[in-house]
Amino acid sequence: MDELLSEFIAETQESLEALANVVVALETDPSDRKLLDELFRFFHTVKGSCGFLHLPRFERLSHAAEDVLSDIRASDVPPDAATISAVLAVMDRIAELCEAVASGQSLPDTNDDQLIEALHHCYRMALATPSEHASIAAEALPANVVAIGDPSLKASTSRTIRLPLSLIDQLMNGVSDMVLARNEMSRKMRVSDINTELESSFERLSSCIADMRDTISKTRMQRVDRLFMAVPRMVRDLSRELGKTINLTIEGGDVEMDREMVEMVIDPLTHIVRNSVDHGIETPEQRRAAGKPEAGNLRLFARQAGSQIVIEVADDGRGIDVDAVVAKVIAAGGLQAKDLANMSEQAKLDLIFTPGLTTASQVTAVSGRGVGMDIVRANIERIGGVISLDNAPGQGLTITMRVPLTLTIIPGLLLSAGGLSFAIPRSAIVEILRDNNPTVSINQIGGALTATIRGVRYSMIDLESVIGLPIAEHTGPRTLMVVRSASGKPYILGVSQVENHEELVIRPAAPIVMAAGIYAGMTLPDNGQPMLLLDADGIAKAAELPLVADMVETTTESADEAAKSRHYYAGLRFIELTGEERVIRLSLVERVEDVPIGAFDDKAGRTYVVIEGRIIPCVGDVNAHLAHGASEITCMRLRDGRRELCYPVRSVVDIDDVPVELDLVASRGIVAGVVLINGRHIEVIDGFALFASAPEPAAENDGSPARCVIADKEDSWNREILAPLLLQAGYEIIWGGEADTVRSGDVVLVTSEHMPDDLAAVPTPVIRLRSDSSPVGPDDASIYRYDRARLLDAISSVGERRSVA
Amino acid sequence: MSGLYLFARIAGTPVAICTDEIEAVVRLQELSPVPGVPSHVAGLSALRSRVLTILDAAALITGQPITESGSERYAIVCGISGHSYGILVDRVDDIRAVSASPMPVSGKLAPEWIPYASGVIEDEGQPYFIVQLVSFLDNNAAMQAA
Repeated sequence: MDELLSEFIAETQESLEALANVVVALETDPSDRKLLDELFRFFHTVKGSCGFLHLPRFERLSHAAEDVLSDIRASDVPPDAATISAVLAVMDRIAELCEAVASGQSLPDTNDDQLIEALHHCYRMALATPSEHASIAAEALPANVVAIGDPSLKASTSRTIRLPLSLIDQLMNGVSDMVLARNEMSRKMRVSDINTELESSFERLSSCIADMRDTISKTRMQRVDRLFMAVPRMVRDLSRELGKTINLTIEGGDVEMDREMVEMVIDPLTHIVRNSVDHGIETPEQRRAAGKPEAGNLRLFARQAGSQIVIEVADDGRGIDVDAVVAKVIAAGGLQAKDLANMSEQAKLDLIFTPGLTTASQVTAVSGRGVGMDIVRANIERIGGVISLDNAPGQGLTITMRVPLTLTIIPGLLLSAGGLSFAIPRSAIVEILRDNNPTVSINQIGGALTATIRGVRYSMIDLESVIGLPIAEHTGPRTLMVVRSASGKPYILGVSQVENHEELVIRPAAPIVMAAGIYAGMTLPDNGQPMLLLDADGIAKAAELPLVADMVETTTESADEAAKSRHYYAGLRFIELTGEERVIRLSLVERVEDVPIGAFDDKAGRTYVVIEGRIIPCVGDVNAHLAHGASEITCMRLRDGRRELCYPVRSVVDIDDVPVELDLVASRGIVAGVVLINGRHIEVIDGFALFASAPEPAAENDGSPARCVIADKEDSWNREILAPLLLQAGYEIIWGGEADTVRSGDVVLVTSEHMPDDLAAVPTPVIRLRSDSSPVGPDDASIYRYDRARLLDAISSVGERRSVA
Repeated sequence: MSGLYLFARIAGTPVAICTDEIEAVVRLQELSPVPGVPSHVAGLSALRSRVLTILDAAALITGQPITESGSERYAIVCGISGHSYGILVDRVDDIRAVSASPMPVSGKLAPEWIPYASGVIEDEGQPYFIVQLVSFLDNNAAMQAA
């Protein structure tokens, strides 16, 4: 059932229950105004919501009751008992309807009108003077106005209850307590003598707690539908106001994310959708002029990718006019014209995130007041998300937001500085290095620190100087973290060292602590020592790092690097049979399927698999890593356009955006290197090496194979060595040196020693083979008979000539 | 009007706190210091899975941090606008029901106490300042704005 509808039903049923007392009280004292007001409000609410939900029967009933009640409220005459019972009958009918809607059944629509009629009748009776009574009474009062609901309808749907949020939060806290208590216990168990029995029951307790934590976490999850709920209405209103026609598509509403997260994403999403409708999608006239259909398309799309939710807003409007953006930024003084030359397209596009920028030539009521994309990005980044643009000028714009599944539990790094421990969200960290790394150089000019890493200069700040503590004496090298900032330009944060990484439960910190501006919350890691979560942006602000100004001075190199780092391709993450996690370019994977074990066979030192009657080479050694007793194995079917490979894996994990640039180039076998995906190191499969290492397929079978004429069938080399080679390569063999036979073939193979005389007369190309490894002279075009590659090459090139002809 | 009060000492001054405001009184374990915040924020402390922000009442009122009295440090736990705080006090004496009504402060009050003492209550002949825990936070905000 539609979420809105079920919510409406639940709410109505709740109010009905609450009103049960009112009804009883009202029957005893029909003149009680307060009770009447309460009833009136109920009908009023029902009428309001059901008009929106298109429930005509609800609307008619509640409307009638509301009318009568408002008249009663307006007049001084207290309602008589008959009117009240008629109102109550309407109320009962609403209850029955609720029941019916909730259980998905229909309620016969026979006598709603009678109920309403009865209501009006009673009310008129109550108002009328005694003399009029007779005439009114004469009107046929509908008979048998009774409940028609079937009591057996009750509660056939899955039952739900509504709980106050605070209760769920309390539950969540309780579970967190349990987890902490378990951690403490496991620490204590580690130092004391290990008792196997105790350990196994502790294990059981642990897994129970983990299960419970998962379940409780689920209560916090909410369908993304909720996020999208307001969008259709907004798009409709806006497009009407702006005179545009827009087809809205919403997909993936059943993806679930943390309720708090939903709240946090609503504003940015609303802003983006507004922008799309207002600036992106053109008016029907403009669209027609641009050769597009009059109705613009707006597509909202949500999906889960690992621990992230990806929300895409795509329109087919005019896209972002990058030059206009650049011009605006220059006009606003945020950029010098000379800097432009060094900026990549993507960097220019990202200027849309410059604070206070609007490309709208005029401020409309809808958007364009200069509160723009910078706020959107700041909001998304505050919750550990990223936002990216895919702009096709004139064709449309796709804005992708990636946000973590949940706010409250995030992957974090624990670090120490100035003798204290802090946590920082892992999503804020680009890279971690030591200051003794040869690619790093740190300079100090007039107190300002800069660090140059691989030729890119960054502002740098020591965490200790931000928090006002002395840098602790430390024997080893210090750790440098490359941290993302709101301006898009990373900076370097120096700390004593990074100690650990952990899933952290984040709590809001007290306002007095937040006021410091450098903290994002607090957390209680597994060691039980409370800790503050650092706010990467806040630190940059507190340290007054000149990030915005610096962005303009980006060298060509760093601009390129920035552009490079934003290039992604879709990769399929999977687990190898041997357990490693790797990623392969998705476009290479034709499909993934389960192949029965019996189809695999080891031949000639390689494994092959028979699928659909074809032999396909298989990567890796299946048998060595087979799970015991498995009858099927998951295989990725790869194709380089021509050749096919079967890649058995333990499991396929997910599709990720993989940076084109490897974080670590370490070519080894079929692995090209390592990339960082969601903070994890994952090996990337080298597609080239993979296919290069695979055996050549048997010659293609498309069309009839070339026919090779072997002139001398008496020669044993021809018979025993040459013929099998050709057959294996997929050629048909015709024996005989006679002119007719030769003419029927595509190529003639002759060994130089037995050159038939009449061959010159036939048009069929001739390949001569010689038994000496070196040619006789410069004019000798023959091929050494054991030069397999040249021989097959020569035959296939003849074959190609044939097919061209 | 009678009420249940917690009697404690802050910066050597006897105070009474209405127990309605108090969740618990705990003996503090280790504190994690919080750099970069006003000095009366003594640090963070874990109370089961909750994290308390510990405020040093003496530091807030007199500017002098609480004198270390061994490892025995007590904090009054309270929840104010959704956050959990622990208010460090010199010592906690007792919880008693007081039948006497609170009286307005009389005599010349030391200026540092003006924002916090909302009245005086007498118990067994001894006067106590009535303090409201929430005032420790409200006045913070004022201080920061200044």
